[in-house]
Amino acid sequence: MATVVRTERLTKDFATGFWRPRPHRALDALSFDIPAGGVYGLLGPNGAGKSTTLKLLVGLLWPTSGRAEVLGRPAGDTGAHQRLGFLPEHPTFYDQLTAEELLMYFAGLFGFAGQERRTRATRVLDRVGLGADRRRPLRQYSKGMIQRVGLAQALVNDPEFVMLDEPMSGLDPIGRREVRDLILHLRDEGRTVLFSSHILSDAELLCSNVGILDRGRLVASGTVAELAASTGEGGRGWEVVVTSLPQAVADRLAPRVRRVTKIAEGRYSLELGPDVHPEPLIAELAVAGAALVSVSTLRTTLEDAFINVISPGPKAPGARPQGQG
Amino acid sequence: MAAQRIGLVAWHVFKESVRDRVLYAIGAFALLLVASSLLIGQITAGQDVKIIKDLGLTTIELAGVLMTVFIGVGLVAREIERRSIHSLLAKPLPRWEFIVGKYFGLLLTVTVNVAAMAAALYLMLAWMDWTSLPNIRRSWDAPATDVRLLISVLLIYAELALLTAIALFFSTFSSSALWSVVFTVGLYIAGLESEDLRNFGDIVDAPVMAHVVSAIGWVVPAFSSFDVKAQVVHGVHIPAGYVIHMLLYAIFYIGVALLAAVTIFSRREFK
Amino acid sequence: MSGRARLGASLLGIVVGLAAAAETLHGREKAYPLPVPSQHLLYLRSNRIASRMMLSFKSVAADVYWIRAIQHYGLERKSLRTTDRFDLLQPLLDLTTTLDPRFNIAYRFGAIFLSLDPPNGPGRIDQAIALLKKGLAYNPNRWQYAHDIGFIEYWYAGDYTAAAGWFERAAEIPGAPDWIRPLAAVTLARGGDRQGARTMLEELRGSEEKYIRDAADRSLAQLRALDDLDQLQGMVDEYFNRRQSYPASMTELMHTFGIAGVPSDPARVPYAYDPATHTFTLGPASPLSPLPKIVQKTPAPKK
Repeated sequence: MATVVRTERLTKDFATGFWRPRPHRALDALSFDIPAGGVYGLLGPNGAGKSTTLKLLVGLLWPTSGRAEVLGRPAGDTGAHQRLGFLPEHPTFYDQLTAEELLMYFAGLFGFAGQERRTRATRVLDRVGLGADRRRPLRQYSKGMIQRVGLAQALVNDPEFVMLDEPMSGLDPIGRREVRDLILHLRDEGRTVLFSSHILSDAELLCSNVGILDRGRLVASGTVAELAASTGEGGRGWEVVVTSLPQAVADRLAPRVRRVTKIAEGRYSLELGPDVHPEPLIAELAVAGAALVSVSTLRTTLEDAFINVISPGPKAPGARPQGQG
Repeated sequence: MAAQRIGLVAWHVFKESVRDRVLYAIGAFALLLVASSLLIGQITAGQDVKIIKDLGLTTIELAGVLMTVFIGVGLVAREIERRSIHSLLAKPLPRWEFIVGKYFGLLLTVTVNVAAMAAALYLMLAWMDWTSLPNIRRSWDAPATDVRLLISVLLIYAELALLTAIALFFSTFSSSALWSVVFTVGLYIAGLESEDLRNFGDIVDAPVMAHVVSAIGWVVPAFSSFDVKAQVVHGVHIPAGYVIHMLLYAIFYIGVALLAAVTIFSRREFK
Repeated sequence: MSGRARLGASLLGIVVGLAAAAETLHGREKAYPLPVPSQHLLYLRSNRIASRMMLSFKSVAADVYWIRAIQHYGLERKSLRTTDRFDLLQPLLDLTTTLDPRFNIAYRFGAIFLSLDPPNGPGRIDQAIALLKKGLAYNPNRWQYAHDIGFIEYWYAGDYTAAAGWFERAAEIPGAPDWIRPLAAVTLARGGDRQGARTMLEELRGSEEKYIRDAADRSLAQLRALDDLDQLQGMVDEYFNRRQSYPASMTELMHTFGIAGVPSDPARVPYAYDPATHTFTLGPASPLSPLPKIVQKTPAPKK
């Protein structure tokens, strides 16, 4: 199957307010496709609608209008669930069970029988690094461990398509690297991965395709390279770092360079646009007594693209009426 | 396939409830009530066996109600509140199977508990019988280990099966576990008064009011009609037809509650 | 099935299920009505224990038992039993008033219906008076209870002296209205007179309680019936005077006096004439039966 996910003008309104419910549009006519194989990153600031999109795809929410298809079936069709895995936004499970019991329960729901349930549970728990703790009740797990259980239960059925809602949340840097490696492995195994995040550096390293959401709208989509190139600022330039530069000289440079950043006393980072040649400038700086630390080319990053497309709005951080990712 | 999944959900519910500490609190309460019945026997002289039967059956019923409401509501409404249901619904588990599975799991819990308490009651009655003098035994309305008590236990069980379905129903749509408890208890109390509600017309003159209240009395689950404790305790005969009708009633109403629960739950969203 | 159709089918299923359940319940109630052993209603026979066990819920418990008392009365009235009727009325009322000694309507209403003669009540004047005395003991300022005892003595027991004594006592209680004291005098002087009875009943018709007003209305209707019966009896005697024989039927008597139709009591039930004893009585189905004994005039001696 060529397309794992297809949405057509997918729209979701939530009713907010108690006395006179006003609809709050969480997703607005979202249309995008996710091709099979590869990693798709759904990015956006907090409250953009990332979690809402994933929940619509897995059938926890129903669309107000528009359509969504997952693995060839309408979103929410439990037939498609046989071949997909889902990590929810705030994973919580059943405190009284052990990790192994939970995984075996879920494996049973997929139709696996008897011994195979235990085999799969053990295998997938080992894969996320919880093999040793699998007989302890979930009540005793830390947040990071619960996150790993979440990953494990998303993989217990060897899914074709894995959906991860903020998979890095709650993990320390080591954990995050492990999850990144896991996602790459999944891709290498031929699976399709969709994950949502507001951490762009992860997306840059992992994603073949990316979609950026802002307040319910898909404002940009494509490969990472395409998006980075689209910022249109020419995409190249220079960064020159010097020390022992007198303040007066730095101030005089301001109109000729794109940006002057003071790192410490005497230490400056100068950004030059692509139309400015660095060599004469460096010579000037040397005459003024500065010592050169480094010269490097600038690549516009996904972050630049992101900031470009996300409209600055009168929104305070985290001021959403309902918490949606 | 569906049966296997339903069975899995049910078994999981049962396992969870067994490990739920609320269960042991209720068990302790039941034990306390039963122990105090031995004390209360002193106040109403010569009526000990009746008192113990009465209190024993009441304890089974009351403990069953508490268990149904708190564990039943807890297991579903809390699951929704805490969002542990999110990962479950991403599995190939249709929503109706979830509801039916939950129901049978809760029912299994109730069954085990009612059976255990009934056995304990019979043991106590057997001990009473064994330690009583023959002339005291002759004064009893009915034998201590009267088999007919089981009729009451059976009807209590049917009552609890119905209450479980209702608790499940309220869990599926109310926004918090607390509200589910409130609604379930409220409907239970209304059900205890259903006979009075139905006879409202005899007491009150205003015809419109009487009809409205009467209608409510017919729709509300008739929990009071499952109560034959007073009869069996005195050895009064309960016709088989009575029991069969009430079981049939319970089955119909349970069907209604589950159908309603499935209907609501299938359309429900989870944020 | 589309979503809409599925929803419709579910709703239909729910309605059908509820109807089936209600039908089953109704069928069971008709086919297997459950005998309720009397002790069940009371459960706690000892008032002392009831009082202690109810703790802070005494008032509510009193309300519950009061409602049970009303239900018991209502059901007993419709019941076809001939023995032990209303047997729980006094215990229920006693329990109610022990749990809440200031339950005014339980005393007054309870006393009225304890006094009513069968088939409308148990006819237990002693219990009624005991209940009201209990009310007086807890609430000495309630002149209404003393007045009610007086009325019961007058109307049901026919003991005018006792009645007058109670009316006097009621008049002594601060707050009693002015018309109580003359009532005592009237009772003594004209005891056994229908006019005196009428006066008292007219007073009661002004009561705040509907049950008391209804009881007074009924009693007044009974008095009118007694007057009617006296008049009819007078007609029989007149017939005898004229014909030296008694009428064979009511129609014949009416015809003789040129009266069309059949005389009926205030409840619109025709009176009955017994040719054998040549006396008129209330029709057998009359709701005014039985007539109070105390104010019947003795029939005129036959010539």
